[in-house]
Amino acid sequence: MNTFMDKLENVLMPVADKLNNNRYLTALRDGFMIALPLIIFGSIFVVLANLPFLDLLIGEEAYATYQSALGPASAATLSIMGAFVIIGIGTKLTQSYDIEGIFGGVAAFAAFLILTPQTVDDVSGVIPTSVLGAEGMFVGIFTAFIAAELYRFFVQKDWTIKMPAGVPEAVSRSFSALIPITMTLSIFLVIRIIFSYTPFDTVQNFIYTIIQEPLTALGSGLPATIIAVLLIQVFWFFGLHGQIIINSVFDPIWYALNDENLQAFQAGGELPNIVTKQFIDTFLVGMGGSGMTLAVVIGIFLIGRSRQLKELGKLGGPPGIFNVNEPIIFGLPIIMNPLAIIPWLLTPVVITFITYFAMATGLVPKPAGIIVPWTTPVGLSGFLATGNAWQGAVLQVFNMAVVFLIWWPFLKILDKSYYESEKKSENDQAG
Amino acid sequence: MKEILLACSSGMSTSLLVKKMEEEAENRGVDVRIWAVAQDKAVQELENADVLLIGPQMRFMKKKYAKTAEEAGTPLDVIDPVSYGRVDGKAVLDHALKLIDG
Repeated sequence: MNTFMDKLENVLMPVADKLNNNRYLTALRDGFMIALPLIIFGSIFVVLANLPFLDLLIGEEAYATYQSALGPASAATLSIMGAFVIIGIGTKLTQSYDIEGIFGGVAAFAAFLILTPQTVDDVSGVIPTSVLGAEGMFVGIFTAFIAAELYRFFVQKDWTIKMPAGVPEAVSRSFSALIPITMTLSIFLVIRIIFSYTPFDTVQNFIYTIIQEPLTALGSGLPATIIAVLLIQVFWFFGLHGQIIINSVFDPIWYALNDENLQAFQAGGELPNIVTKQFIDTFLVGMGGSGMTLAVVIGIFLIGRSRQLKELGKLGGPPGIFNVNEPIIFGLPIIMNPLAIIPWLLTPVVITFITYFAMATGLVPKPAGIIVPWTTPVGLSGFLATGNAWQGAVLQVFNMAVVFLIWWPFLKILDKSYYESEKKSENDQAG
Repeated sequence: MKEILLACSSGMSTSLLVKKMEEEAENRGVDVRIWAVAQDKAVQELENADVLLIGPQMRFMKKKYAKTAEEAGTPLDVIDPVSYGRVDGKAVLDHALKLIDG
């Protein structure tokens, strides 16, 4: 068993290392991190703007006024999150070359706007906000990569204007960015002009048809979701942070699906997707901590007799409420524990099916695209993520019960073996 | 004063450890500053630290930090998974102090 485990770890470590230290995936992940506070701010206001029963309480008209008063909060953040992601990725990628990042960031954003159609319903001089949201996300990511690469290429070529000594630092810095930015953005302008002669008309259309649609369709399906979730669990089983590793690949898809739902939710229409960022974070992997271990903590309190588990329950309980669960993962331990691997891999698959079908059948509303901070406790997070639906909270509690039932026999065996070895060592000491 | 930096995915689980380590340091009368950061901040914070300890779940980041740490002359290591799971402030503090004293 051990040599097999060792072999598997020898395969997984380099994969984790490669994925996590890949320059582009790192920039992608950190770029999303920059956008995250803004996305969460916007999400909070979507929740507030859609409080249940408020329309009955204050009347239709006052409710409409209330909603339009709060509207700009999410319109300026959540709905245009692509913009922040692009600037974030451009900045982080440029920084990874030890070059000041912000020019790379704004160059990426400007490059993206150059590629963007600047007309809405024949009115020119306007930028459609939809392309700054989910629709533009993929173009945005690619644009940010290419723009930041071009920018740093020209900076590293040293095609810059040198200011004489004595010129203030800030002035000479903005001049040194001048030529690299001019070169970078000119290239994008040429790309735009070339595309205007193709049947796709814009780069946006091209990427949307060729890459984004097929990719998100794949990512929204059950098989891809289960594979992603299983991979996360397998990485964690070896004590490697599965979400960090897998999310860097899947986040663009999950966020795009999320945003499609949000737009539909705000427009009051049918929500298109079940699998979204929230589906993964709130109902699967992140519910009560990686691998849904809050149910395991409850199990420990209910059946734990061994000192080791009881102690662990006390340690892991409070952070577990806020979905932080490293004490359980490393303390139970779940990692490298042949007994734990069965419930560890089984539960997320079962929960994925339950959640998916609960939403597919309409028993529970689909995620509304609201990004709930990942530290939000179970119950509340399900309520918020489904757009203030109590069914979301109930589903989470139900899922926790299922997780508990799957873990129960395994926890019992583990507890018994700990208990016996504790007793044995006490007897040894007494004898 | 000894400066101990911990890093994990978002600085959450390591901050549990920070509290336990601070308690232990206070009991021993050791003058330390211990703080936890998310993995993307670790490189920036490295210059303020005497030692960097990485959560075991992020151990694949070690290589990325190693270069900066070597340049700064800051020792770094991965926290032992068992101590991490038990949130064993004593063991991790010992580990950190041992690394600082070389």
